[in-house]
Amino acid sequence: MVNVLKGVLVECDPAMKQFLLYLDETSALGKKFIIQDLDDTHVFILAEVVQILQERVGELMDQNSFPITQK
Amino acid sequence: MKLRVQLQCKNLHEYLKELTPEILDRLYNHPATCLAVYRELPPLAKNYVMRMLFLDHPLPQAAVALWVKKGSQKDHDQCVSVLTGLRLWHSQHLQGGLQGFVLNPVFKDNLRIALLGGGKPWADEGANLGPDRHARDVESLDRYAMERWEVILHFMVGSPSAAVSQDLAQLLIQAGLMKSETGEAPCITSAGFQFLLLDTASQLWYFTLQYLKTAQSRGMDLVEILSFLFQLSFSTLGRDYSVEGMSESLLTFLQHLREFGLVFQRKRKSRRYYPTRLAITLAAGVTANPASGSASSALGAIPGTGDTGFIVVETNYRIYAYTNSELQIALVALFSEMLYRFPNLVVAQVTRESVQQAISNGITAQQIIHFLRTRAHPVMLKQTPVLPPTITDQIRLWELEKDRLQFTEGVLYNQFLSQADFEVLRDRAQGLGVLVWQNPAHRVMVVTPHGHSEVKRFWKRQKSHS
Repeated sequence: MVNVLKGVLVECDPAMKQFLLYLDETSALGKKFIIQDLDDTHVFILAEVVQILQERVGELMDQNSFPITQK
Repeated sequence: MKLRVQLQCKNLHEYLKELTPEILDRLYNHPATCLAVYRELPPLAKNYVMRMLFLDHPLPQAAVALWVKKGSQKDHDQCVSVLTGLRLWHSQHLQGGLQGFVLNPVFKDNLRIALLGGGKPWADEGANLGPDRHARDVESLDRYAMERWEVILHFMVGSPSAAVSQDLAQLLIQAGLMKSETGEAPCITSAGFQFLLLDTASQLWYFTLQYLKTAQSRGMDLVEILSFLFQLSFSTLGRDYSVEGMSESLLTFLQHLREFGLVFQRKRKSRRYYPTRLAITLAAGVTANPASGSASSALGAIPGTGDTGFIVVETNYRIYAYTNSELQIALVALFSEMLYRFPNLVVAQVTRESVQQAISNGITAQQIIHFLRTRAHPVMLKQTPVLPPTITDQIRLWELEKDRLQFTEGVLYNQFLSQADFEVLRDRAQGLGVLVWQNPAHRVMVVTPHGHSEVKRFWKRQKSHS
């Protein structure tokens, strides 16, 4: 028997994948969204969370950056 | 799933190739068109056309293939496809079953006329009008052309002082460079932002392509206005030409060209017009790749436009723009934070926020860098690389930050019972070119949504067989 699931394949670096796993475990988006953990750099997720996921990643990047310029 | 729109700027040949065969054949009825098309051919293809121009009989294809050495076969194939795509030659059966090439007879006749002279004069040179009392010199024409063109760009960035005709505003909306909510003034789109960062020659060409696209819906004859455009590109800068004998739709077209700054006409009803530098360089299109063009060649397109070389970029992320043009300042402000403003100088700073803001508006890092490089101050041009690598790298890195996750829509297949089952299905998906990702060890694969139905059908058939 073959199981078939629709969704979105995400390709990312290992560090980003850990962030996705963290979001999934803590249900930070309101629910679990990872359908299957494929390997170090790929996960398969629900299509509907893509938009909000991008926002979350943007927020993470904002937290991780500091102004490199001075006025 | 990226929402980014890349502005496609085709060159002349790509545009012509998309026209229907009938229109192309009618276009070649005018010597100016033939010469313009010939001028833009790759050198090898020019050589082929010249060799065959005075032959009346078709040449065997095998003989044509012998014109190049074995090592240059690729160039030859490219030439054959260009010449065929533009319908400059046709294949024809020779006696004895061989395939041969023969030049398009219409093109051949008209190119001969263009090269050897004869035929009707292309443009009425206004000799019978006598000398113009309000004659224009080259400099004032250049100034006029740039003024007109800048009004359009100003209109796009929303400067209150810029006003354009209804027709033009409509055209900008149709081209997707601006959008308009009902009852409100049009505002700029992401494609429009990208458009503003292009150099003038590319802008003009893109705009003209959009104009031609909508020309037929305005009831204009595409062949007529294209021929006129090509004819304009062979006219002499600083000379006046007469509107005598132009049809009604051509006269409308001339009024549009006048608004874009391609021709100068003193009054709407004037009986003579002067083509400007914009019109003359137009048919050359954008043959050079704008991304790779060096600073000097990209600037060389339209000399004397005043927007060349005024930006200094420092390694501390500051931009000094020595300009008083509102338009240029507005462009710099698209991707930077303004710090100070002086009568002839603005100081701005590139920050992560400002660059990401620009990127979310649809501008790419490459375009920002290209913009800075092509407008670099002569002092900057003395150093290599022109822009400090820290800045260009950082702008690219800021763009990549947005792309840490790559999304591909797909359908996941898992829980295969045997490795053989997995391999059969995977090979099928691979054969169809729809396989996105696979992991044989875990018997998991992802195919595109579009290929899913085909793979599923195959799997059902496969199961009923076994």
